[in-house]
Amino acid sequence: MTARDIGAIAAGNLRRMKLRTTLTVAGIVIAIAAFTSMVSFGTGTQENVERQFNDLGLLSTMEVYPRQRSNEPEQEGMPKLDAAALDQFAKIPGVLIVYPYDPFTVGVRCGDSVIETRAQSLALTMLTTKLFSRIRAGVIFPSDTSKEAVVSTDFLKKAGISTPDSALGRRLIVSVRVSTIDSALSRVVTDRGRPIWDRFRKIRIDSLLHSRPYLLKTLRVEANEAVRRLVDGYFNARKTITDTLVICGVIEAERMGRVRVEQILLPLATGQRFTTSGMSSNPTDLFAAMSSGTLFGGGGDRQEKYFTQATLQLDPRIPWAPIKDSIEARGYRTFSFAQEFTQIQKAFIYLDMALGAVGLLALLTASLGIVNTMAMSLLERRREIGIFKSLGADEGEIRILFLVESGMVGLIGSAAGVLSGWIITRIVTVIAHVYMRREGIPEVQLFSLPLWLIALALLIGTGVAVLAGSYPAARAARVDPVEALRND
Amino acid sequence: MTDGPWLRTEHLCRFYRRGPQEVRALNMVDLEVGRGEFIGIVGSSGSGKSTLLNLCAGLDTPTSGSVLFNGTPLRSMTRKELARYRAKKIGMIFQSFNLISHYTALQNVEAALLFNDTPRARRRDLAAGCLSQLGLAERMSHRPADLSGGEQQRVAVARAVVKQPEILFADEPTGNLDEDNARQIADLLKSLNRAGLTIIMVTHNLEMARECAHRIIRMQYGSVAGETGTA
Repeated sequence: MTARDIGAIAAGNLRRMKLRTTLTVAGIVIAIAAFTSMVSFGTGTQENVERQFNDLGLLSTMEVYPRQRSNEPEQEGMPKLDAAALDQFAKIPGVLIVYPYDPFTVGVRCGDSVIETRAQSLALTMLTTKLFSRIRAGVIFPSDTSKEAVVSTDFLKKAGISTPDSALGRRLIVSVRVSTIDSALSRVVTDRGRPIWDRFRKIRIDSLLHSRPYLLKTLRVEANEAVRRLVDGYFNARKTITDTLVICGVIEAERMGRVRVEQILLPLATGQRFTTSGMSSNPTDLFAAMSSGTLFGGGGDRQEKYFTQATLQLDPRIPWAPIKDSIEARGYRTFSFAQEFTQIQKAFIYLDMALGAVGLLALLTASLGIVNTMAMSLLERRREIGIFKSLGADEGEIRILFLVESGMVGLIGSAAGVLSGWIITRIVTVIAHVYMRREGIPEVQLFSLPLWLIALALLIGTGVAVLAGSYPAARAARVDPVEALRND
Repeated sequence: MTDGPWLRTEHLCRFYRRGPQEVRALNMVDLEVGRGEFIGIVGSSGSGKSTLLNLCAGLDTPTSGSVLFNGTPLRSMTRKELARYRAKKIGMIFQSFNLISHYTALQNVEAALLFNDTPRARRRDLAAGCLSQLGLAERMSHRPADLSGGEQQRVAVARAVVKQPEILFADEPTGNLDEDNARQIADLLKSLNRAGLTIIMVTHNLEMARECAHRIIRMQYGSVAGETGTA
């Protein structure tokens, strides 16, 4: 008996029992539709994450931090993340671009809006990275010294600008209030006309030398006074640096984990006017400078400036692991998005397995239907099996005939199940997109039905059906032809 | 007409166990059938006629003894080889016709060619030709339920002979037929035998056995009780 004969006989038997076949197939359809749509959701979510990683170029991005965290006490010998360190990183084979993450707080007047936000200076090389290439309107500034700025879509919302195109050409008055260590130190020496030695004159030297409690009290009082004057000098003797810039481009707002695009992007030299003029008066920046030991670091002098984070753009053709090892060997902490991505992929595999398991549970139930259908078929066709055996069919052919029948039920059910699953995902997607549009959320594809998933669904559906049919098939193969052909 | 033993049984036994009791359906049967012979096996119900036929056809396995076809013991054959033996060497017809009810007459006859390597393209022609020879050209597309008993048995005969077997086993082929149809089937079997086909026929109808067979073997209580020649 050829494969074609077996197929024709099996198909004929299924056609003959239309209602029973339809009901059994329906069970498989429901199970495979559930399996397909659920795994399709997991796959769609995974693809969204992958797309974001690729769009932002994160798979070839590595973040570097000083070993010493900002909330830890300073330890001797810990390398600082400074300009020299960045130059070293740039020399590591496979590192294409190195840039520090060095944002600062600015006040921005745009039309009638006054906004306090964060800005970042960018060298032109940094703009070649995918992260800073997601331009929604206009262009990136042409040089490091141009009086132009790129703003993010988040800034447009804050400034009440409706479309990216309408932002182009608008004037931004950017101002930074900076405090210098000089003004703070001079306030320590002379506080509103009262020099510090006036205080020193009041200290009794004899008591200082002979009375320990007096010594401690004096030190405490004077130290507090010195800090008060320093902080007062920092916050109350500030100067304002102002510059007028023109919006030349609008970039997609992005904040994904440790990667972010600040709301105002400035050309490097233009931005340095603000950062080298003194210390930001933003308390957060002040405390960061104090905790990182850079309060007296000379303000914005790049050579003496310590960064809290630097970004490395890597050559995607070169493995990231040796670069990571090399940087960590120099005493820095690293964060590799590629490594993170591997972990995320593993998590998605578990998610897909969990979602798939729900569908497979339904398939397990449906497979009982197949066992029942094939067992019924066996009982009804004992004489037919006996006839086939008397005509020369061997046990293997009878077994295969039954397995092909159950496999056909599985295959038809799986194919219809995949189609149904796809229809379900389309309906859910349409509903979700309406909701996303209404809520102003960017539309994303929630589901993905790749070829491998279709093939897997067909394979699992057919495989489970064949497995379910194996017991009735084995019984059919063992039918005694003498018993089956006996006259009733 | 005969060329020496073509099918032989040696001390053939078939015992069944029904609860604690052993039923001796066939007990030490020795039989020789020559090529081109027509053997009639007669006996009362339960005498072991059908059991003997099933053992010779390779549908059943003897408890002891052996069936030899052309010198080869069926016992030495694997299940697959036994299936090939049934597919290629023998044809069977039954009292209750045993046609597949949802197949047409043509499909029933074609079914016999599924297992003996007949190319798919030739099956239909062979089956149609065979049915035509048996006067069923107009009934090919009919299902068994639409055929008379005689027509059904002729379809069964067509199914048995379409693959050109070397032996035809007929188990009470006229048992369910009226006299006219029984006569037609008997004539058909005789003509097949005249054409060279070896036939072993089990029947209650001694008259028919005398008319058709060269030898008649009488069975009783699972053993050969006697043998008579008719020629």
